[in-house]
Amino acid sequence: MKMRLAFTAAILCCVSVVRGDEQLFGFVRGAETLPAHHWEVYQFVTLGEGKSEGTYYGTHFETEAEYGVTDQFQASLSLIQHYFHNKGVDGDRDALDNTNAYRFGGFEGSAKYRLLSPFKDPIGIALRLEGGYLFHDEVDGLDQHERYIKPEIDFQKDFLEDRLICSLDLGAEWAWGKQSAEQYPRELSFEGAAGVAYRFAPNWYAGVEIHTRWEYPLFDLNNFEHRVFYAGPSIHYSQERWWATLTWNYQVYGKGVEEPADGQTFAEETRQLFRLKVGFNF
Amino acid sequence: MKSEFVFITLPASALIAPSAFAIQYLSVEQAQRAIFPGKSFTAAPVKLTSVQRKAIEQASGVRVLHDEQQVWRVGGGGWFIVDEVVGKHEFINYAAGLTADGSVKQIEIMDYRETYGGQIRDQKWRAQFVGKTSKSTLKLDSDIKNISGATLSCRHITDGVKRLLAFYEIALKH
Repeated sequence: MKMRLAFTAAILCCVSVVRGDEQLFGFVRGAETLPAHHWEVYQFVTLGEGKSEGTYYGTHFETEAEYGVTDQFQASLSLIQHYFHNKGVDGDRDALDNTNAYRFGGFEGSAKYRLLSPFKDPIGIALRLEGGYLFHDEVDGLDQHERYIKPEIDFQKDFLEDRLICSLDLGAEWAWGKQSAEQYPRELSFEGAAGVAYRFAPNWYAGVEIHTRWEYPLFDLNNFEHRVFYAGPSIHYSQERWWATLTWNYQVYGKGVEEPADGQTFAEETRQLFRLKVGFNF
Repeated sequence: MKSEFVFITLPASALIAPSAFAIQYLSVEQAQRAIFPGKSFTAAPVKLTSVQRKAIEQASGVRVLHDEQQVWRVGGGGWFIVDEVVGKHEFINYAAGLTADGSVKQIEIMDYRETYGGQIRDQKWRAQFVGKTSKSTLKLDSDIKNISGATLSCRHITDGVKRLLAFYEIALKH
């Protein structure tokens, strides 16, 4: 307990001097970067709810501090934590242990370089690289020692004096050390996300977004595991020194190996996702 | 479990959101005195017709957001105009002084409420607009230098001044 409180205090010391940026979407990133020498801190809370049977709530907490190294380049560090509540998730798609417990997730880091600005170039483009070390998986909190890297390219096109924002992210993830949480030790995933947000009043954006993930164990494209699409609305509010984004995404399509072909996948996914992001600027 | 919940939520809950505040750097009267010291001002607001609006948009390439423009005639010649452009979150209010022949005398930022980009208040950056007319290019990275890290504000102020110079030609000059 003392160790945890001390660690929490250390995190607070780090983030208390951080400045904030904002993200208009829950699962989509734009091509903007922080101005040089500015800090920001985010707190994400993501709730995944619903399997094909039983009761499932997987709540994921990500505390992220980000720094603008230059006007085009930013870097960040994140702390990942989970809280799982599973009961009776024991069907033909998945068999999770009944759980009601906290799990420490791990650490992530990212770097993002903006090639073109969405504010003055025909289209904004940024390259992003993320990596991390995760001690528990985010489905059921099972033990693992996952290391991953995730390169990504982010596009952003603005219209109507930058009040209509269109973003598209495309990325891939290579992960090692997923056992014993998963059947295979390594996995290749492809991810995509797209969103449109409109500033309908000063300080307010409303948007819709979609994101998808396709997984292939053993880095083998012939070894399909599952793919999923989520879509839903998001609402964003900002003030000069803080902002918040609330997103609801529903699983609109999913397919998983050894799962019924009914347009849903639940082995590693949930029926719906809620995400609250809060960013602070100091 | 209770301590674990505290561990999870402390990082977020301990971050106290600082109160947001809008900074008004200059009132209308202060901006008038800054641009045209010692002069008198006569309010002469303009309501654009749809024809004028379209002509301004065509001439400047910038959308006209409001039909009504706050304008003052300056004693001894010249115009004082209060305008606003879209910022990242809210509008940025600024004032432009035009000489009697329609060139930019000075611009002043009146209200700025954005998280970043406040460098547009820098006198050197604003001085780039002095002497610009409706025939000027007024394009970021061309005749107006960008401030890295304040790109959105720089571009929108540049577009706003370009629109005001077209407004002068179409609605004020004659």
